Amino acid sequence: MTRKIRIATQGIFLFMFLWLFLQTEAKGANELGYPVKIFLDADPLIFITTILSSREWYQTFYLAIVVAVATVVLGRVFCGWICPLGTLNNMISAIRARSRKAVAAGWFRLKYYILIFLVVSSLLSLQLTGIVDPISLLIRSFSIAVYPLVSYATNATFDAFYNTNVSSVVAVSEFFYSGLKKIFLPFQQPFYLESAFVGFLFLLIMGMNLVERRFWCRYLCPLGALLGTLSRYSILKRTVSEGCNSCGACEAVCQGSASPGKKDGWKDTECLYCMNCDDLCNQNAVNFGFQKKTESPGLDLDKRRVVGSILTGIVAVPLLRVTPIARAGVADSKLIRPPGSLDEKEFLRRCVKCGECMKVCITNGLQPTFLEAGLEGIWSPILVPRIGYCEYRCTLCGQVCPTGAIRKLELPEKNKIKIGLAMIDKGRCLPHAHATPCIVCEEVCPTPKKAIWFEETKVKNREGKERILKLPRVDLDLCIGCGVCEAKCPVLGRPAIYVTSIGESRSKENQLLLP
Amino acid sequence: MNRRDFLKAAIVTGISLTVSGNTEMLVGSLDAAEKIDLAVAHGASARGITKAAIDSLGGIKRFIGRGDVVVVKPNIGWDRMPEYAATTNPEVVSTIVKLCYEAGAKQVKVFDRSVVDSRRCYKQSGIADAVTAAGGIMTFVDERRFKDVKLPGLALKSWPIYTEAMEADKIINVPIAKTHGLSTLTLGMKNWMGLMGGSRGRIHQKMDQSLVDVSMFIKPTLVVLDAVRILTGNGPQGGSLSDVKQMNTVIAGTDQVAVDAYGATLFGLKGADLGYVVAGHKAGLGMMDLAKMKIKRINV
Repeated sequence: MTRKIRIATQGIFLFMFLWLFLQTEAKGANELGYPVKIFLDADPLIFITTILSSREWYQTFYLAIVVAVATVVLGRVFCGWICPLGTLNNMISAIRARSRKAVAAGWFRLKYYILIFLVVSSLLSLQLTGIVDPISLLIRSFSIAVYPLVSYATNATFDAFYNTNVSSVVAVSEFFYSGLKKIFLPFQQPFYLESAFVGFLFLLIMGMNLVERRFWCRYLCPLGALLGTLSRYSILKRTVSEGCNSCGACEAVCQGSASPGKKDGWKDTECLYCMNCDDLCNQNAVNFGFQKKTESPGLDLDKRRVVGSILTGIVAVPLLRVTPIARAGVADSKLIRPPGSLDEKEFLRRCVKCGECMKVCITNGLQPTFLEAGLEGIWSPILVPRIGYCEYRCTLCGQVCPTGAIRKLELPEKNKIKIGLAMIDKGRCLPHAHATPCIVCEEVCPTPKKAIWFEETKVKNREGKERILKLPRVDLDLCIGCGVCEAKCPVLGRPAIYVTSIGESRSKENQLLLP
Repeated sequence: MNRRDFLKAAIVTGISLTVSGNTEMLVGSLDAAEKIDLAVAHGASARGITKAAIDSLGGIKRFIGRGDVVVVKPNIGWDRMPEYAATTNPEVVSTIVKLCYEAGAKQVKVFDRSVVDSRRCYKQSGIADAVTAAGGIMTFVDERRFKDVKLPGLALKSWPIYTEAMEADKIINVPIAKTHGLSTLTLGMKNWMGLMGGSRGRIHQKMDQSLVDVSMFIKPTLVVLDAVRILTGNGPQGGSLSDVKQMNTVIAGTDQVAVDAYGATLFGLKGADLGYVVAGHKAGLGMMDLAKMKIKRINV
């Protein structure tokens, strides 16, 4: 019975997650209707490590405190009943052949070492949590890989029907297609640079469930480790009565590594409170109830490995940062951060690479980095204007950022923020290099007084005929680096006007003009 | 055969085929068509002047018949609110939608291939809400529905054009008057770019002739130029209220070149100052000499 309630609860939270994920999309207004980042706000691991790395308090994370307190009272119910990644792992595990032996009984400690590593490095201002935090990982994987993939496959299928040109087929398929477009499909097919990589890692995590049920949750999840640590103090404990005949049925259905088969060896830190052992016990010997005393053996981490994790956490900080790209002028000129991003150092201390900003970006211009921001900044957002520009009156990315790496901006402020500067490649520009009219960059420039102006000049064509030509120029004071000129420049391949991060408001050093 | 002759012929044929009923009305509109080339309505209510301008051309029933599928094509190119005059006035658009339904139209569809994100353009321009409230069908452009067509053009030999626009029984062009860096002004003929697929940036290389080529292909039933507010600088996108001029004017006509030629005067220019007006006139698409036109001015 409890098991059924648990499964229903998991379903509700997974559905809620997916629904909110789908709501992380612009509808035309500048505000999103729903609190799409609520799952990240409820993540105590993101909460703690972000506070440590940014040395700032976050009020938005009150839900994370609720989850932490709930864990102290009830144990890892978040893992067993709520976590959407856990639920997905659960679902994949269901197709795995049953009753195989655990891969390695001791591996469950690995996640605690990962947790120690993350906490230590965040204490020293290096925020790597987002890479392995389950909520962040799930949102990123869905945003960058799974959703684009599903959308692509769906579109391709319906395109195939559409292209049959058989009117009855088209009528039926378009009916369903328009329905899917309304409730499920993205407004436009998203494309992301790292989709294959991120998608592969996600599939790997899903596939590991075939090796061992909830492999990720048992052995790797640092949030699980954090909640496991907290659940040491929980008052909801498992007891086994005299009736137990050590049949081992509970051992086979345990979703964690809680060793329920050992009467006194039940590990409260590893129990996901899935209640399988309670439900399936033939002798009705298992009972969960509130009590203070615990017979659980507790966390027996290897001291040398703990020290090793701490040291790795310490060493990682300088190791990832002894790269020249942190220096102004050396940094990748394509490192154009979303508007409202904090100064690069502060930005990296907060960005958890969840990918919500990329999901919500209306032009698809926000893309995950690979190494443009160093290994430390992997999968953090950059604007790639050739893919999509920053819409002048849009502030969505700042609205969904869970940690304030991208500030939430009001429109008047957003309109003044420079994320870079555009420059013209005179060697490729149609008017400049080829005496051909164009001025698309000027047309699309969104600042109220256009940052692209033109100089009228008389040129002679090959036949010696005089014609008036408008040559574009960039007003460096007015240009905000939104990149719409680069996005729309008809000179394909290398564009004739392009944006680099120079001049970005958030940096003191990365400047061109006198202040 | 010029446009008016064609219209006359068509209506006469229509009369001869019509046994009874609305002959009177048709004759009435024939008179109106003969009298007026352009209707220019001026007044405080966008709805009032839109209706008045169309009424002076003979009323909406002259253009829209029972059961027609009508496309109304405003300019929804930019993510701007109505008061910035970068997109067609929503009230002008919704008034036309309503009039079409009053004339018995089966469906009135409204769309535009915006330059920037169309979700934002549709919403922020106020057009989506206004059209939906008026019962119009507001759809986003579906990239699959562009079809390469041969153009009888000098600059463009073929271009992908939106099929829903081509398949409609009637199409009403509802541009807004704005400045433009390359074509000086964007009025009616340039508004057809919103029905063009592909990479439109290349059009700029031969802008004037390209616009004429496309306008020769897409012939509107009616053009209603919105000059309730016009954008006098930093067009076509604008963004500053100081560039917006309140004109409280709507211009309606059936001659694309004539409407644009008149539109030029709103900015203190002549039709002859606009390359595409001159080229359109040369190509026989319409008239550009305002002195030779019968222009009816209405104050509402």
